[in-house]
Order: sequence, then structure tokens, then C-alpha cells
Amino acid sequence: MTSGASTRGEWAILWRAIPTLWRVAVAGIVAYRAEMVIWILSATLPLVMLALWDAASAAGPLSGFGQAEFARYFAITMVVRQLTGSWVVWELNQAVRSGSLSPQLLRPVHPLVYNFFETLAAIPWRLVVLVPLLGALVAWRPEILIVADGWFVPEGWRMALFLPSVALAFAVAWLVQALFGMLAFWFEEAVGVFSVHFAIWSFFSGYIVPMALLPPAVAGAARWLPFYASLGVPVDVLLGTAGPVEVWAQLGWVVALAVVGRVMWARGIRRYGAVGA
Amino acid sequence: MSGETVHGAAWGRLPGVLGALARVAVMNAVQYRVSFLVDFFVGSCNVVAILLPLMVVFDRTGSVAGWTWHQSLLVTGFFLFMNAVMGGLVEPNLGAVVEGIREGQMDYILLKPVDAQLVASVQRIAPARAWDAVAAVGVIGWGLSGTGWPGFGAVAVAGALVVTGVVAMYSLWLLVICLSFWFVRVDNLRYLLGAVADAGRWPVDIYSGAARVFLTVVVPVALASSWPAMALLGRLDGALVIQAVVVSFGGFALARWAWKQALQSYTSASS
Repeated sequence: MTSGASTRGEWAILWRAIPTLWRVAVAGIVAYRAEMVIWILSATLPLVMLALWDAASAAGPLSGFGQAEFARYFAITMVVRQLTGSWVVWELNQAVRSGSLSPQLLRPVHPLVYNFFETLAAIPWRLVVLVPLLGALVAWRPEILIVADGWFVPEGWRMALFLPSVALAFAVAWLVQALFGMLAFWFEEAVGVFSVHFAIWSFFSGYIVPMALLPPAVAGAARWLPFYASLGVPVDVLLGTAGPVEVWAQLGWVVALAVVGRVMWARGIRRYGAVGA
Repeated sequence: MSGETVHGAAWGRLPGVLGALARVAVMNAVQYRVSFLVDFFVGSCNVVAILLPLMVVFDRTGSVAGWTWHQSLLVTGFFLFMNAVMGGLVEPNLGAVVEGIREGQMDYILLKPVDAQLVASVQRIAPARAWDAVAAVGVIGWGLSGTGWPGFGAVAVAGALVVTGVVAMYSLWLLVICLSFWFVRVDNLRYLLGAVADAGRWPVDIYSGAARVFLTVVVPVALASSWPAMALLGRLDGALVIQAVVVSFGGFALARWAWKQALQSYTSASS
């Protein structure tokens, strides 16, 4: 199939296709904007968790996390979650099962590349939808932005490291979802398996419990797993509890997952062809 | 529309109709046996995922907003139960209505000589969610093992509140579905509703002012999770029981009215 070798010709095609891919992806977002807003708003879990932690820390801080710290933590977590979110597992699963993957394979660009651009194009829209939510959070707990001696401003190098860390978290999250989506080549229940993954992920990624509040033994291991690499690292980089080492670990996961993804795709697509779809 | 003239006289046939619909729903559902096991596994993981953060929180503090660990387990148990009912009996049906509107199968429901809302609400079930109901009972039992066993009266009130809560949530779901008669594009609103209803997994007292009102009136998930738990603990004010009945009956009447309006404007997928 078209997806095999990464020859120079293929990269040249991709390079030339980027503006078109981007335009198509943006048009898709614009066409489905109402649906998108609803999907984006459906990621309410950080707010639900914030409510619990906020009440739990009302009497006094837990492991250095008071109400202000929890509010700031979950506000940033919500932003990073949106910046790193994608739908590739559902889309790939649907494409494999309905057979709509076949026409996509005839295009000179890899189907997942197109999906990657779709995911990227959604990011500005995701941020727009987040603004009122963040505004409401800050109105509720101004301490998110205001600390004792002025504004809350992380150190310069932390802010500089935040962006690459978000980009790597995005890559890890997208690759993991793509891998689960590829399971659809073999099983009917790829999405079900992914929701099991979500339950594990939400606990070890920092999505519902800050790493600092997990039991130390659990946190020590979780710090190096892909769950944390796909969400918690950038949050903690900004807040001061993770640094360059964790970002390097993120890069390691991106490389490892990309290699696995390549192998899995090659095998899966052979199987897909064999089914005759 | 078409069923309206007949259904008024048809209430006597209700048990028979319900029985037939339930039988077909079960027959449809048991075709997917592997999926039943996968759903069991997924459901168990979700139960653990809901309990874990509570464990972490109560590992550090004895009570949150006046609720102890075992008392919070009651809320979570009722929340799981409501989720099982919504996911097993309500969501599959109303999801099918949205699909039917888009693809035209809604016509067949309207042609049947039985009330369309009834048929649309009970034609499908997801039996795997029964696992969640079992887990819910287990979690409630776990909670009660720490709080002491309630009297018969408290159990009756809690049961009644669960019913009002489920009716209220069903009505809200139906209202959202009615919107898709006009705006097919918002068919995923029900996922947003599910995400908001997730807030019902904690005792409602942890939410402040507006959020608490929101969870007891607008998305009244607390009616089915926190309030039954409060009834079992003997903390529930009689006024709240009245509020629960008003919210659930009011919601149902509103949803019924909206459904009729929606049917009036339904023009089928082909026209």
C-alpha cells in the first residue's frame, strides 16, 4: 500500500500537500463547529475533580496543595488536555469498520497524516471555547493568577520549556490513540479497549490526581510512564514539579510509540487488504 | 402524529406492549455476547476509576464537606446505579431516536398504533449495564457497612428519590433529543449532558452556590445520587423530597410537551 517506505518522494509529496491539507482540515472544523464546541465542552472531568479537591482542601492544604494550587493545577490541566486532545481512535476505528479507509488509502498522503492535520486545525477552536471556562474559573478563584506578591508568573525557562513539552504531550497522546485505533484491524472492540485505557490513564497522567498527591511509590513509577508524558509533564513543568528530564522522557516515548505505530500499521493494513475491504 | 388518535384507548394494552418491546429488546441485545463481556470489563474499570480518586482524597482527610468515606460511597453507589439505568435503558433508546431522525426509521415508530414516546423509550436495552447496577449495589453495601443499616422508612424514601431522579434525568435527556428534531447537528449534546451529569458522583455539598442549584434543578443528577444517600443517613429534609417530586414531575411534563411539539414539526428524512 501507499503507506510503506518513507522515500524522499513521499516526503516531497507531503511537503507540497501541507497547505491543502491544512485548508481542508480547517474547512472541516468550520463545517462542524457546533458539534465541535459540544465535544470540547464534554471534557468536564478536570472541573469535577477540582470541586472534590477544593472541598477536601478547604480545612487546610494537602501536601502543599491548597485551594488556590488545586484551582491553578486543574485550570492548566484543562488547557493542556484540550491542546493535546484528538479523536483519532474513534475516526480510525470508524474508517476501518465501515471500509471508508479504502478510498483514503488511494490518496498519495497517508490517512493518518490527514487525521493529524485535522487534529492540529482543531486546536485554535479548542482554545476559543476554553476562554469563557477559564474566565469563570479565575472569577471564582482569582488566586489562580494573583499570588501574595503580585501575579503568578512561572520562571522564564519553565515557560520556554512548556511549549515543547505540550507539543511532545500532544504527539504522545495522538500516537497512543492512533495505536488503539489500529487495533480495529484485528478486533471489533477497539473503542472499548480504549475506554479501559482512559480509566488507567486518568489516574496515572495527573488528569484527576496531581502527581504530588499519589502515594510516593506509585508516583515514582508513574512519572516515567506514557500516561504522564501525554498530559501531566507540561502542567508540572509550568508549576515547578517537573523539569527537562521528564521532557526528555516524553521525547523517548514519542520515538518508541512512532516505531511501534509504523510496524503495527504495516501489519494491520495487510490484514485489512486480506479481508477484502 | 399518526398514533395520537389510537393511543388514548390503548393504556389497557400497556403491559402487553411493554412485554413485547422488552422481549424484542433482549433478543436484539443478546446477539452480541463478546461485547457483553468486554462491556463488563470496561464497566469494572470505570467503577475503579470512580472510586480511586475518592480513596486518594480520604486517605488524606477524614471528611470532605461533612461527608465521611463510607457516606461518600453511598453517593457514588447511587450515582453508579443511575448511570446503569440511564446507560442500560434510556441512552440506547434516545440515541436510536437521533439516528432514526437522521436516517428516516423514525417513520416506523410513528406508524405504530402505540404512543410514540413509549415505543421510542423502551425499544432497546444495553444488558451489559446490568453489571454496573450490580457494582452499584455492592458499593452501596460497602458504604452501609460503615454507616450502619438504615430503617425501612429511610430505604423507602431513598428508593422513591432514585425513581424521581431517574425520571428527571430521563426527561432532561428527552428534551435534549427533541432539539435534534430541529437541529440534527447537535445530536452529540447528550454526551455533553452525560459529562455534566458526571458531577453527580460526589456529594452535592462539595459544590458551591450556583453549581449546587444547577445539579439539583437544571441537571438534577443530585436527586438520584446525593439525596437518596442523605435519606439513608437520615439527613434529608422533607422539603427536599417535595422539591425532588416537583422537579421530576415538572421535568417530565415539559419533556412530554416538547416531544409532542417536536413530532408536529417532524417531516421525515425523505421529505
